[in-house]
Amino acid sequence: MKESFARFRRKPAFTGCMLFLVVLILNIGIQGWSTCLSNGVSVGNILSFFQPSALKSIFMTNLPFILVTVGQALLLLVGQMDVSIGVQIALVNVICIMVPQEWGVPVWVGWIIAMLAAFGISALCGACCAVLRLPALLASYALTYLVNGINVLIMNVPQGSVPKAYWKPYQSTLFGLIGGKDAPQFLKFLDYIPVPALVLAAVLLIWYFISRRPFGKHIYAVGTSQRNAFAAGISPVKVQMKAFLIKGFFVGVAGICLTLMSASGNPLQCEEYGIKSLSAAIIGGMGWGGWGSISCGVFGGGFLVLIQNTVYYFFTLLSKIFVGFSVTSYWQNFVSDIIIFGGLLMTIVTAKEQRKTLQQGLKAQFRRGEKYAK
Amino acid sequence: MLEMKGIDKRFGAVVALNKASLTVKEGEVMALAGSNGSGKSTMVKVLAGLVAPNAGEILIDGEKKIIHSGTDSTREGIATAFQDLSLIPTMSVKDNILLGCEIVTKSGMVDEKESRRLVQELLDRFHIDCDPDDYVQTLMPSTQSMLEVAKAVFRKPKILLLDEVTASLHYDEIATLFDIMRELKNEGVSMVYVTHRMNEIFEICDSITIMRSSETVTSGPVSDFTLDDIIFYMTGARPKHSEAKTAAAEDQDDREVVVEVKNISVYPKVKDISMKAYKGEIVGIGGLEGQGQPEVIRSILGAVRPQSGSICYMGKDVRFKDPAAGVKAGIGFISGDRSKEAVFDIRTITENIFAGNSAKESLFAYLSAKKVRKFSEDAVKKYNIKIGKLKDPASSLSGGNQQKLVVARWIAMNPNLLLLDDPTKGVDIHSRQEIHDILRECAANGMTVIIAASDTDELLNISDRVYVFYEGKVAAELSGEFKTSEHLVSAMMGVKEKVQEAE
Repeated sequence: MKESFARFRRKPAFTGCMLFLVVLILNIGIQGWSTCLSNGVSVGNILSFFQPSALKSIFMTNLPFILVTVGQALLLLVGQMDVSIGVQIALVNVICIMVPQEWGVPVWVGWIIAMLAAFGISALCGACCAVLRLPALLASYALTYLVNGINVLIMNVPQGSVPKAYWKPYQSTLFGLIGGKDAPQFLKFLDYIPVPALVLAAVLLIWYFISRRPFGKHIYAVGTSQRNAFAAGISPVKVQMKAFLIKGFFVGVAGICLTLMSASGNPLQCEEYGIKSLSAAIIGGMGWGGWGSISCGVFGGGFLVLIQNTVYYFFTLLSKIFVGFSVTSYWQNFVSDIIIFGGLLMTIVTAKEQRKTLQQGLKAQFRRGEKYAK
Repeated sequence: MLEMKGIDKRFGAVVALNKASLTVKEGEVMALAGSNGSGKSTMVKVLAGLVAPNAGEILIDGEKKIIHSGTDSTREGIATAFQDLSLIPTMSVKDNILLGCEIVTKSGMVDEKESRRLVQELLDRFHIDCDPDDYVQTLMPSTQSMLEVAKAVFRKPKILLLDEVTASLHYDEIATLFDIMRELKNEGVSMVYVTHRMNEIFEICDSITIMRSSETVTSGPVSDFTLDDIIFYMTGARPKHSEAKTAAAEDQDDREVVVEVKNISVYPKVKDISMKAYKGEIVGIGGLEGQGQPEVIRSILGAVRPQSGSICYMGKDVRFKDPAAGVKAGIGFISGDRSKEAVFDIRTITENIFAGNSAKESLFAYLSAKKVRKFSEDAVKKYNIKIGKLKDPASSLSGGNQQKLVVARWIAMNPNLLLLDDPTKGVDIHSRQEIHDILRECAANGMTVIIAASDTDELLNISDRVYVFYEGKVAAELSGEFKTSEHLVSAMMGVKEKVQEAE
């Protein structure tokens, strides 16, 4: 037990996981307190965070962002990044809406075309960064404008709709999806699981199987040292291109989730996800190239989401304790941004700490080695 | 088994290999020897697929093969343990060893259980004491070197290349390594063993190929060579044993000591170095590559912090916290690595010459363009730097002239102590001569110069006194009549100890 915790401490996802847990507990507490003040004290109100509707809405609105962060984390692992990832989901969203609307094809055909577009634009970004070796930050930043232009060409103003048959199951909990209203009492807890959470689980499961293949090892080798990976007979270009395509899959799923969540199209949304997903991945414990894991992306993304949620309930709580207290939502953003900035600083501190213990260990071993030699 | 013929490799104008060749028979350990920059490592890299030769052919079992990448090399049954390691520090020991040849189950997943078993077996065979799940970056350098070899052996190669793997190993680890090499030899594996340590050649190798300045000089069974022969082929000079001993002139005691280094150690290369430099003297630092010369020079400057020992500069104990503090105290530093540590490629020649001076003045001090230009014009004329226009970028100059530019920059500041780390690397013979002249003139004017050089002739030519580093310690201090090529070379090879025993 102690040993496995010590091993976990050395894992890159440790910081991200701890930050995530802290803010999760804070969120549960503040949200519960706030609900108790307005609706009276009861077990249900204290744990209001876990109410099916609340849980559902938090997963639903933030799933695209978390998926994008996971994709960004994968790119960071192979030593690349893509800040155009935000406008890419908007592209998927726009295609999902406009293809059925303009061409009269079934909705799912639109989805397939949108997925292909996500793969295509990721392949383009990958070709620029991995094959032509342009600096990833610059290439993907330029791509932001390109994709934005395409988005507006396809759809000039926010419009469109998705048939209810598609968004309804997505916006419900497990029983809403498979119909289990008559389930026995002891299975009722299953109804707390929102469908978006299932989508996340499915995507992570797919990633799990990919990561257990040799490719899952190669990404680390390529991210840390392309030369050494090449010497071991691995093609860095191929591995990076594969990573970009898998990221395309994440973006495609994220875009479809976004479409189902809003049930409409908007060509100019989510642009900030590009940079935000980067900072989320770094908070989660990713390094630039070869250090970290996909769980860093999940924890980092989750941290950012919960911080915003917590701050919202914190201000609601304040307005209930101090009657008449009210501030604009800018204040909420300001406070959550400060906390996020603090989180970024934290990662430096912990990284430094890790390096220090490492150096000490190294020195101790070295000295022992010297003695041994004599 | 393996034959390389007429291999040529050029990096720009620098010739790394010139019609180099080697032949290894089945089940044979071949030593590849040669002094610094003779092309041994390039030969290994050609076989490993990291360097594509300009000409020449590689024959394996009599068949012509083309090796363009690590994949090609692995396919031909070649595995390499690199001098600068090819391990991925952020990956676990297990993943590193299996990198590129993962054990997979039928469904294409990595078989973690089987991998762990195989890796543990390998670690036991090599007597490496670590967990398969440890990150490589947390292991000590000698363990990493052993892992590098283990990784290569795990690939079950027909031809194993070992490029100076023993440089950071402890002797018990070397013994283990040699045992394994003997086992592999019995299995019919051919090995190419690159080393600087002469005793290892006689202990483990069957045949030897010697390279000098990018060419293969000679080859044959080790039993046909004596130690003197090997050194002769490597350097072109025969070492004289009988007189080799440490000699320091005594009449120097009354001269002013500018800098004295006492027992410093810099992890991991420098173990225990003490040296002195007097006013107006040119002190040389010699030795094979990687014996700690750059670290010592940089710790005097303050760019590197030694773990222990002290540095006494101008009669005071100092420990500069960064190079800026060293420069302020009157130390100049010229690096051989021009692009990395000295020249601002895209800035003009004027700016490059003036860079050192501007660092000395206060940050917002006013600089007139005229003053800067005048300064540069003088420097260019004085040191005979061949330039187009003063406004041209520094990258427009040849390597030799770039180096003169850097020398000019520092000497114009008139430092008390000038440190040079291999300043004439890749510099043509004429410019080299001119730089030497400049240094001699400065020393005559009372400047103290400490110069590390990999070229033995240069070292003997320019310095009044030479410290020879070997394995992080001072192996010899040569001056006066002892400052000869023979003594220098034998001290560089660590032969000195043996000789002293004989005396």
